Amino acid sequence: MSSNSMADPRRPNKVLRYKPPSTENNPTLEDPTPDYMNLLGMIFSMCGLMLKLKWCAWIAVYCSFISFANSRSSEDTKQMMSSFMLSISAVVMSYLQNPQPMSPPW
Amino acid sequence: MRSLWIFLAVLFIHWGFSLAKFDEFEDGDDIVEYDDNDFAEFEDITEDVTTESPQRIITTEDDEEEATVELEGHDENQEDFDDADAQEGDTESEPYDDEEFEGYEEKTDASPSKSKDPITIVDVPAHLQNSWESYYMEILMVTGLLAYIMNYIIGKNKNNRLAQAWFNTHRELLESNFALVGDDGTNKEAISTGKLNQENEHIYNLWCSGRVCCEGMLIQLKFLKRQDLLNVLARMMRPACDQVQIKVTMNDEDMDTYVFAVGTRKALVRLQKEMQDLSEFCSDKPKSGAKYGLPESLAILSEMGEITEGMMDTKMVHFLTHYADKIESVHFSDQFSGPKLMQEEGQPLKLPDTKRTLLFTFNVPGSGNTSPKDMEALLPLMNMVIYSIDKAKKFRLNREGKQKADKNRARVEENFLKLTHVQRQEAAQSRREEKKRAEKERIMNEEDPEKQRRLEEAALRREQKKLEKKQMKMKQIKVKAM
Repeated sequence: MSSNSMADPRRPNKVLRYKPPSTENNPTLEDPTPDYMNLLGMIFSMCGLMLKLKWCAWIAVYCSFISFANSRSSEDTKQMMSSFMLSISAVVMSYLQNPQPMSPPW
Repeated sequence: MRSLWIFLAVLFIHWGFSLAKFDEFEDGDDIVEYDDNDFAEFEDITEDVTTESPQRIITTEDDEEEATVELEGHDENQEDFDDADAQEGDTESEPYDDEEFEGYEEKTDASPSKSKDPITIVDVPAHLQNSWESYYMEILMVTGLLAYIMNYIIGKNKNNRLAQAWFNTHRELLESNFALVGDDGTNKEAISTGKLNQENEHIYNLWCSGRVCCEGMLIQLKFLKRQDLLNVLARMMRPACDQVQIKVTMNDEDMDTYVFAVGTRKALVRLQKEMQDLSEFCSDKPKSGAKYGLPESLAILSEMGEITEGMMDTKMVHFLTHYADKIESVHFSDQFSGPKLMQEEGQPLKLPDTKRTLLFTFNVPGSGNTSPKDMEALLPLMNMVIYSIDKAKKFRLNREGKQKADKNRARVEENFLKLTHVQRQEAAQSRREEKKRAEKERIMNEEDPEKQRRLEEAALRREQKKLEKKQMKMKQIKVKAM
């Protein structure tokens, strides 16, 4: 299968280890979505908790889900879990304080 | 997480049911009051006054109900009167015996007018209704979340299957060419893991190393974000492809100095704008590859014509023509340093590090709706990569080409130095001032006056020497100028 059918092109003595590309040099290559969504989720859940707005809390839940789906595997799971918990607590608190259903804006 | 949702759903269901029970009682009350009116028919007309008051109580709720009740009461009185007097004869059983019903009619006229108070019936607002249906927004939200989770699981699995299919197809070729296939950098020894590194739910890496000519090859499978529902919906508007990006780092001695790119016109225009080396060395617009037998869709960016001639040999042209739909871009460069960096302080103070690299970007066929079988179509492209590695080692510029290339590189470096000259001067100046300040501080902090005097003298002497040197230089320049 190798183009050089005469000799084996492999050189075990010339093996170089994998170095993960450093993302500090090129921040443009990083996808900013999970960080933005995390931040948005926290903001919305704080709004939902403080201002007792149910729709804010629901949007926060969605944001934390989106952030989780887009996150890199190297990222801290603690951060993800904390934003999840915050948004779910915002939803639960809004309903405990005011059990009436949400009214649509139209 | 799931159990929490189930618990909340159950809670809502119970709540809805418990509140719905109260509805039944209200209906029951109405029926009871209707029964009272049935018995009212046996009472005399004089007693109709009393029966009317319960009627009035009912009628505050609904005008229509009152009207029907009145009619019923009227009719029922009618009937019984008829029945009771049936034996007495026809004359007395006439329906509208005015004398008998005078007072009653007045009263019937009176009560409707009294109950025509301005009462408007208002719909009970949704948030006071105690039924489960009023929570439809919440149900919508939860359904949306469930849909998102389902899509996440399905998308993640699909991407995983695609990656595995790709690796299974290419494993043999890679293992026959590289000593190390698969490395995540964490093991102590350099042993092939034989697995892809999963960076994300949609990005998979593979590092191969241990071959002649090249230091290593990094393959990135950049799939579409199938696990994110938002992305899936966005892709319905704007179709996109899965991509395979291959970056081969060459040894310095195994590649000559040239910059060359071939690919779709759109991709090349974008690369020319973004990439540092392409923008500096290939200043012309992408040229059509038809001259070399390439299809119209492909264009070429090259530092000089000789490189294009050398690169476009029969086998390469064959590869490019046959798989043109899958090729996004092919970029060979000895001055590769990545995309242009945008720094806040203006230009960076020194040239970025360059590496001899071959970059390939391939589009997976299927434009989004790929299946694992499509991965087999990419195998010939990997053959092209291997062929390119060997070719890059063999291809050498002739003397003229080499001279041109060296001149180009010197020119670029000079331009860069000129641009940053001012900044570098400022940096050097600030460094000198720092040193002086540090010296002065040391002198001031010296408590021993003797030492202080000596240090001051030494500093003065150094200053004088510098001045003398400068003067000498100026004199020399003047002499040369003359």
